[in-house]
Amino acid sequence: MNKRPEIEERNDLLHEFLNLGEMMLGVGAEIKRVEDTLIRMGKAYGADKMNVFVITSSIVITMHFPDGQELTQTRRIMDESGTNFTKLEALNELSRSCCENPLSTEELKKQLEQLNKKPSQALFCIGSVLGAGSFAIFFGGTFLDGMCAAMFALFICLLQNKLKHLCPNNMIFNLLCSFLTGIGICLLTKVYPPLHLDKIMIGDIMLLIPGIAMTNSVRDILVGDTISGVMRLIESLLWAGSIAFGFMLAIRLIGG
Amino acid sequence: MSTIVLQLITAFLGSLGFSLLFHLRKQLLLPASIGGLLCWGIYLIGTHYYEGVFVPCLLASASAALYAEILARIKKAPATLFLVPAVVPAIPGSTLYYAMSNAVQGEWDIARSYGYLTIQYALAIAGGISLVWAMSVMLQNVNKQK
Repeated sequence: MNKRPEIEERNDLLHEFLNLGEMMLGVGAEIKRVEDTLIRMGKAYGADKMNVFVITSSIVITMHFPDGQELTQTRRIMDESGTNFTKLEALNELSRSCCENPLSTEELKKQLEQLNKKPSQALFCIGSVLGAGSFAIFFGGTFLDGMCAAMFALFICLLQNKLKHLCPNNMIFNLLCSFLTGIGICLLTKVYPPLHLDKIMIGDIMLLIPGIAMTNSVRDILVGDTISGVMRLIESLLWAGSIAFGFMLAIRLIGG
Repeated sequence: MSTIVLQLITAFLGSLGFSLLFHLRKQLLLPASIGGLLCWGIYLIGTHYYEGVFVPCLLASASAALYAEILARIKKAPATLFLVPAVVPAIPGSTLYYAMSNAVQGEWDIARSYGYLTIQYALAIAGGISLVWAMSVMLQNVNKQK
């Protein structure tokens, strides 16, 4: 009867590991990094063998302890991952310091909860505006094209805030978002013909396009995480397709 | 010449924009954005010496990855933080757009050639990054052996 508290303690710990893994996936960490971190964490907390399997939609961990006890927990990952580098860095820092001198389970839990904050929306919008504007000019647009792309980037931010949670999934959201943005850009260029429709659209496409996800997925495949890579690749191809379809529908309706 | 300067400036600003969008820590914004400038600069130099987009883009993404790895060691932060903003200018947004718009107009031959270009860009970026990643892991293993 003496063993029960120890099992519970270890199960709680494993639960926190899964929380850590889930958070890392959610902020855009690579599969390899999540697996490596969890393996190192487990060993630091006294496991002699860690079996960690991570794909974009699931985490499985089996911890094997020197006294022969084996524990397994799995986690289904439902949230779509975004990118938040500040949080990624903080999580990385936390796990690194834990590997050197392990915190108690309670303390680890507290630290993780503390990190689980929503990032500031204002910086996200400023970044979108700057990114879209710059890339419209980068691909050969005029300064005015850049300003228009920046304006529509703000519109996309608004949609991401108001419309995204109403959509059943990311694909539908991207379709709607690119369609509405496309309509806006088409109307604007109709009203003021000197604007370049293609450059403005390219600037805003750079924001929506899952270029990072696509690059990451090919890298995952080349690095050896084939399942995750293929999943992400297909996801991002569908996503890119829906964006293309949305913009083209707008061009067809209004005329470029 | 002036378009080159303009492209380099906007590549820098674009990378800065994406760094903000990805919530990069303030202190790291500048080095990460310089990565974008470097990546596009190498690409432009590459196009001077090589035909097509594949080799220049491979060189650009490899140097971006190298830059990220070095910076990661200096700043003691994950390399992804610097890598992602740095390769953003190489993302084939424009070729994808022209592939789509030509497809809509029924110009399938042009659409296809733009489509191939897009795939070449994507493969070159991923290839360059993976190359540097493989080398850095090998280097670490060699150091461990000693």
